[in-house]
Amino acid sequence: MKKLRLDPLSLAGLACLLLLVLLALGSLVDAAGDPDAIVGPRLRPPGPGWWLGTDNLGRSVLPRVMEGVGTTLLLSSAAVLVTAALSAGFGVLAGYRGGYLNELIMRVVEVLYSFPAIVLAVLVAAVAGPGQLAALASIVLVTIPLMTRLVRAAAVAVAGRDYVTAAVISGARLPRVLGRHVLPNVAGTIAVQGTYALSVGISVEGGLSFLGFGVQPPQASLGVLIRQGGTYMMAAPWLIIGPGAVLVLAILSINVFGDGLRDRFEPRETRSLV
Amino acid sequence: MRLLLWWAGRALSSAVTLLGISVLIFAALRLMPGGFAETILGPFATPEQKAELAARYGLDQSVLAQYGHWLAAVGTGDFGTSMISRQPVAAELAARLPVTARLTLLAVAAAVLAGVPLGVVTAVRARPGGGGGAGRLLSGLGVSVPEFALGSLVVFVVSRYGLQTTGYLLPAAVLSIFAISATARTTRDAVLGVLVEQHITAAVARGETPWFIVRHHILRNAAGPVLTLTATITAYLLGGALIVEYLFNLPGVGSYVVQAVGRRDYAVVQAGVLLAAAVFIVMNVLVDLLVGLVDPRLGRRA
Repeated sequence: MKKLRLDPLSLAGLACLLLLVLLALGSLVDAAGDPDAIVGPRLRPPGPGWWLGTDNLGRSVLPRVMEGVGTTLLLSSAAVLVTAALSAGFGVLAGYRGGYLNELIMRVVEVLYSFPAIVLAVLVAAVAGPGQLAALASIVLVTIPLMTRLVRAAAVAVAGRDYVTAAVISGARLPRVLGRHVLPNVAGTIAVQGTYALSVGISVEGGLSFLGFGVQPPQASLGVLIRQGGTYMMAAPWLIIGPGAVLVLAILSINVFGDGLRDRFEPRETRSLV
Repeated sequence: MRLLLWWAGRALSSAVTLLGISVLIFAALRLMPGGFAETILGPFATPEQKAELAARYGLDQSVLAQYGHWLAAVGTGDFGTSMISRQPVAAELAARLPVTARLTLLAVAAAVLAGVPLGVVTAVRARPGGGGGAGRLLSGLGVSVPEFALGSLVVFVVSRYGLQTTGYLLPAAVLSIFAISATARTTRDAVLGVLVEQHITAAVARGETPWFIVRHHILRNAAGPVLTLTATITAYLLGGALIVEYLFNLPGVGSYVVQAVGRRDYAVVQAGVLLAAAVFIVMNVLVDLLVGLVDPRLGRRA
């Protein structure tokens, strides 16, 4: 295993992400207090006792944001794991085997890809009923087409390499060829696309919950908090500023980390013109 | 001849994709709990009333028969009648299209006019200290702010300071932040890819100025991915910018279709999704043609 070297910006992104995970873990032990406890007057601006202000019920916003980050990160990463597993399986199979199987898989991917993303998510929510499961399924369906296409493209490139041919000639069966020779060589693509899928997932969860089809209150997610805060936006802007800032920070740090991963796994020559 | 065959195959696969979408959407609508009759008649409807309503709209037939009738009608350009408003779906969608089209046009224009130069500059100045880093961070931030977060913020600022909220400029601005940033990032990647090619080395050796090199040797060669992205963004926005329409109270295509999902207005959802997907596919085909014209190497490779 080669050592993973990253540039400072990506490391900063990673550090930021870890900090958010820490915040989410903190909410498990109520590190900043019970997210459902009423701690003070309603709609108070940030101050001692409620560092991000209080909401319309007098609950402190900070523990709610911590719970929200946890919900959002957990949902999105669970969904991305499902996407990664499915894309890896289908993408590698389609890219290596080609033929009818490839046609079939790519047609299905094309159907999902041509669906307007947010409408797809709303339809899923309508079928499954609004909630965490709907949010999870939506993220999977929205992120799977792009990832499968790119994994397939990477697998096509790997399939023609000599070491794969050598493995086939020496009698390796399909699962062994795919698992031992093709998959490890497309793992970089999966990792890079996985990080991007995570940031898309967070955005989809947010949007869906914001429209009222995703995570349902009283459970907090970043989308839920921004939706609820919207109602009292004029009197208490901190209700959307806190969760909004955390949301943007989460997506930005993941994207920056993803860029670093990409530069690491798909290095290329660069040059400057001026 | 080979090219003709290729395009025929492309048309066929597009048709298969659309068919797949229509099956998926049909199945999804029928799987939803709570049918059209419940939505219209309320919870106290008698079974007879429900049956009568279902019969009137042909919902008492088997799903397969419904699908067959619908597909045959769509083949003749008839997208059915909204079960709520009793107006032809095509007319209702057409009435909402100008709103969506205007938003799309503004956002895409901004993406091309601002995103492409931004991308070129950040690529050409990629050397540390060249000022490219700032642009890169800015566009990274731009693709990291979800529409609903940025939109909420804009609505807040606008209403707090009593600014004008009607019109298309603000919603289009919210949409264009992502579009501009994504375009800038893709342009940067594409230009960086061209920069390392040998003909650029040759141009530098001939002593051509950077600006001349950009115009004559880079833009055309880097156009492919940028055009593809522009087409994707255009198609995506034409499918309905749901969240922005919701935030700014705009009667566009997206909010219409999602409202129809809630009311189980089957014909509207089916038509809306199918049209959005068709736009997506047609845009992709168009852009492949366009890319072939701008960069003939890519056209021949197809």
